[in-house]
Amino acid sequence: MSKRDEIEAMIARVAIGDKNAFRQVYSDTSAKLFGIILRILDDRSEAEDVLQEVFVKVWHNAGKYQANGFSPMTWLIAIARNAAIDRKRRHGTKTAAAELDDSLPDAGPGPEEKAVQASERARLDACFEELEERRADAVRRAYLEGESYAELAAHFEVPLNTMKTWLRRCLLSLRECLTR
Amino acid sequence: MSDQEHPDRDDDVVLAGEYALGLLTPEEATVFEERLANEPDLRQLHAQWAEDFTALAEEVSPVTPPSRVRKKLENRLFQKAGQSFWQRLARSRLAGAATAAALALVALVLVDLPSTGPMPPDDPVYHADIVSEDGNLVVAAGYDDTNGELYVERSQGAARPGRALELWLIAGDKPPVSLGVLPETERARLTVEPDLRTALDGGVFAISDEPPGGSPKGAPTGDVLAVGEITRL
Repeated sequence: MSKRDEIEAMIARVAIGDKNAFRQVYSDTSAKLFGIILRILDDRSEAEDVLQEVFVKVWHNAGKYQANGFSPMTWLIAIARNAAIDRKRRHGTKTAAAELDDSLPDAGPGPEEKAVQASERARLDACFEELEERRADAVRRAYLEGESYAELAAHFEVPLNTMKTWLRRCLLSLRECLTR
Repeated sequence: MSDQEHPDRDDDVVLAGEYALGLLTPEEATVFEERLANEPDLRQLHAQWAEDFTALAEEVSPVTPPSRVRKKLENRLFQKAGQSFWQRLARSRLAGAATAAALALVALVLVDLPSTGPMPPDDPVYHADIVSEDGNLVVAAGYDDTNGELYVERSQGAARPGRALELWLIAGDKPPVSLGVLPETERARLTVEPDLRTALDGGVFAISDEPPGGSPKGAPTGDVLAVGEITRL
């Protein structure tokens, strides 16, 4: 069974209240999700709170997972990003860079997964290549740092409306490239 | 795909992308979510973006969270109410069990079971009461070791209109395995494949809400409506 199928099966078991399956999902995915949340929030204690929130949602919403057509990691990452971005927007802008010295690097994915991930990543990278560099960077920043239109406009030193126009065009070109 | 040809679709492609990135204002996001609930095409656009962007998350290094997060979660989810989901379930089932047993006795005395159709096993080896948390769906199951059949009797509740009830067997840490869709009749016998029979011991039954004919995937796709632990008799 691939890691993806394994996590999928575990989520199905979480949906019927299986605590051990929940603990397994936590063990398998919390480090990745914590990394993603930390990148958006840059504040360890806030990130810990949000991670907790995310898994509370996973416990309560696992039954809805199959219905939304996401792969398991995409579903989990979407929950994590949404929670982190919510927290960030509620608390104003990003706090100063946090010290991450006590964080432990984690074992990454296995070779098989790496190959699948690499091909998906290559496809996306190729499409990003077609975009103007700064625009591609804007999409990355929105996704990885959870930046808002206002933050992006400030970062790229362009008016807010210009930023919106850029990014929207960018999304259309990306979709066109990705479905090619 | 150009603005001239599909202006509306292009707008939705962009909107779904903005939503997936978290760029919409809370108000815009709420409107979008309402549309998501009713528009399968939009759901697909959104799912596509979410999947594509997931590749971006690869460059984020995993960071092991401190163990206190796990501990807090355990306390919050599993100890807060003083009892777990399973404990609550077992308790509500025990409370109902005495009444159910009394009713069953009355039923046996007053009404003879129809002589045709599925009959309960004479000497079931395993038994389970598969009951929803609100008690609106009650299915009793008894396994007949002589022919490898599971007798199921639905005494309360039914599938929603245009939907079906599917029965699952879950053993240990394994994913749920379908035992089939429950027929509309109240009583039925389902064959338990030989390789699944050992899974009954210590296993759990679950009933999920599925499209007619059952889950199109190998796993439950709808809500899990009722669960019941299997006991050896």
